[in-house]
Amino acid sequence: MAKINVKLFGVFRMDTHIDCIELEAAKLGEIFPLLNEKSLALYEERHASDPKTEKPAPFTFKDAIVYVNGERSAKKGLKLADGDEIWLLSPASGG
Amino acid sequence: MKLARALDGYTGKVLFVDLTKRTSELFPWTDADRKRTLGCKVMAADILLHHIKPGMKAFDEDNWLVVTTGPLTGTGCPNSSRFNISTISPLTGILTSSNCGGDFGLWLKRAGYDAVIFTGRSETPVTVNITPEAVTFDDATPLMGLTTSETQEKLPKKVGKLVIGPAGEHKVLYACVFSGERTAGRGGVGAVFGDKNLKAVTAFGTSMPTVRNREKLRKLNKKWVHILQTHPLTGRQLPKLGTAGLIAPMQAHKILATKNFSEGRFDGFEKISGEELAEHHLVSNAACTTCVIRCARMCKVDDKVVKGPELEVLGLLGANILNDDIEKIIRWNYVLDELGMDTISAAGTLAFAMELKEKGVHDFGVEFGRNDNVEEMFRKIAVREGEGDILADGSRVMSEKFGGKEYAINAKGMELAAYTPRHAVGHGLGYATANRGGCHLNAGYMVVVEGLGLDVDSLTHHGKAALAIMFQNLMEAVSAGGSCMFTSYAVLPGFLIDKPNWFLTKAILAAFPYVGPVVNLLSHFTKAPAINIPLLPESYAIKYATGIKSTMAKMLTWGAYGYNAERIANVILGQKADADKLPSRLTDEPQDPNDPRTKVPLDKMKPVYYRARGWKDGIPKWHRLKSLGIKISKDVYDAAVKEAYR
Repeated sequence: MAKINVKLFGVFRMDTHIDCIELEAAKLGEIFPLLNEKSLALYEERHASDPKTEKPAPFTFKDAIVYVNGERSAKKGLKLADGDEIWLLSPASGG
Repeated sequence: MKLARALDGYTGKVLFVDLTKRTSELFPWTDADRKRTLGCKVMAADILLHHIKPGMKAFDEDNWLVVTTGPLTGTGCPNSSRFNISTISPLTGILTSSNCGGDFGLWLKRAGYDAVIFTGRSETPVTVNITPEAVTFDDATPLMGLTTSETQEKLPKKVGKLVIGPAGEHKVLYACVFSGERTAGRGGVGAVFGDKNLKAVTAFGTSMPTVRNREKLRKLNKKWVHILQTHPLTGRQLPKLGTAGLIAPMQAHKILATKNFSEGRFDGFEKISGEELAEHHLVSNAACTTCVIRCARMCKVDDKVVKGPELEVLGLLGANILNDDIEKIIRWNYVLDELGMDTISAAGTLAFAMELKEKGVHDFGVEFGRNDNVEEMFRKIAVREGEGDILADGSRVMSEKFGGKEYAINAKGMELAAYTPRHAVGHGLGYATANRGGCHLNAGYMVVVEGLGLDVDSLTHHGKAALAIMFQNLMEAVSAGGSCMFTSYAVLPGFLIDKPNWFLTKAILAAFPYVGPVVNLLSHFTKAPAINIPLLPESYAIKYATGIKSTMAKMLTWGAYGYNAERIANVILGQKADADKLPSRLTDEPQDPNDPRTKVPLDKMKPVYYRARGWKDGIPKWHRLKSLGIKISKDVYDAAVKEAYR
């Protein structure tokens, strides 16, 4: 298991209310169930005080644009190392 | 003058106002013209093409300001009440077209006009008032010196308004025009207002044009709203984060213009991001007229709720000048709006001045990483005071005086938007070939497929020319109808956007660099895709609103017409052959020193682009103009082409 730092951006961050989190995982694909678990726990906290709060949809590796230490990674099985920084981004547009 | 109108969706009238004589009359514009050009920027390009003369300049008395609407304006279609202002740009010397989401277009149509053309120059500051009954001229002297919001407050309520601020009055070359809080920002249309002593325009009326098939249009609009509100980009990302939500993806993709485009990543990006804005500074969302996306951000400045910064401002007044103070950026955005200046060109010019200082060429008093005197510089630019007078002319004129053309980040004189293109080379081609200069939208907004929305290989030149042409034409046509160009993002299938790491998405995107021949065929045999596609509701909407037989192919043809009409107009105005260039920083120096692919290979892409466009050295061939139905005299064409090679 590697201790890693995960940063969320875009819609993922707005939906989950997670900006940055430390996780322990061996491979890239393993972080998603952990994030969904944390996201659900945060939702339940919010829901207790505000029943109108929307439940975030769980997301998986195939939903996210993933960067590991500043470089794009499309390998779910990528082995992680202590201190890795992972960015999860949602697709975006604008002008 | 007989102006018969069989088409719906239009008022059928174009107003021509002579500011010198203070007179008005109808300008001849027929159904054939409407079918050929649709409206907004393509209509304006056609009007100007047939007016301009070689050597005509922005501040010539007979330079026309052409304010146009689209046929969808006021029809109830979502995101479709935009209007356009075109003229000869003082910043670039060629045509500019500047699109605005304010409500002036809607009011102009209510007043009974599809467009208004201003010529001449008033002797004294003037406000022009347009109603169905009359055109009147008020003394605008009491409004002079007022900011854009102050000016609008002094005008009557519940009318459409177009105003300039101090920057327009002082003819800052990138001054803009405001309608409410929205702006026709690019190319210095505000300076042309200022040159004509035109401080403000109002429009009022109560009627709207009929539509051809109201029931079908109503049903379509319902579907269209659903498409926009459920699409991953227009339904989720833009409402939740606004365009500001692009800062983090741009950082990731190494296209966030940093330190005057010398780099593509900024260490302080999180402090100026859309997430930071949404979580700590957002008061509410806001929208342009009839918009259902609602991507605009309202923030507070001095306890007043004002329009917040878009991506461009966050990037160019953040990363590009090494500033990570978002509160300053929110404030500067407000100040620039009040002064009436294009934020992109103001910020790009500022960054160039900072680099001149860093290189020891000239000290304007501004420098990278210093943010205490930026607001003061903006105020000096707006009234052309001290060093501000030099910055008021933009980066191209400055580079001609001081040197540094290789890092004066403009194309054809217009400063580039916040996307640095060395990791999105198709976007670089778009910047270089865009008719109005360094504009990301006129460029075809290739970054949406080169990493931000879809993940097509951003460093390959293969397929980029064809894709750029297709998106340029499509966005031109969407704009001509009166719709927001953001609606065109919904043409990218949601499942491709939503699942970036899905095997099928990857397989489809891997094929994109090879679609060039197919896209080129579609562009040249425009009868082929004589269909409508559900993800482009504009083509249905135009049919139901106007009665024009609109199809996907017709949309692309309107786009091609506009692109070619603007281009040949530019050549007549003096644009040289092979003028589609970028500063050498972007074409010759790799962004990553260890990766030679990280520069824009214009030399490889331009010949393919020109061939597909039917152009030679950036000039449309005669037969291409003929095939599109662009009518100009052969003598005028030949003389302009000859001059272009001189």
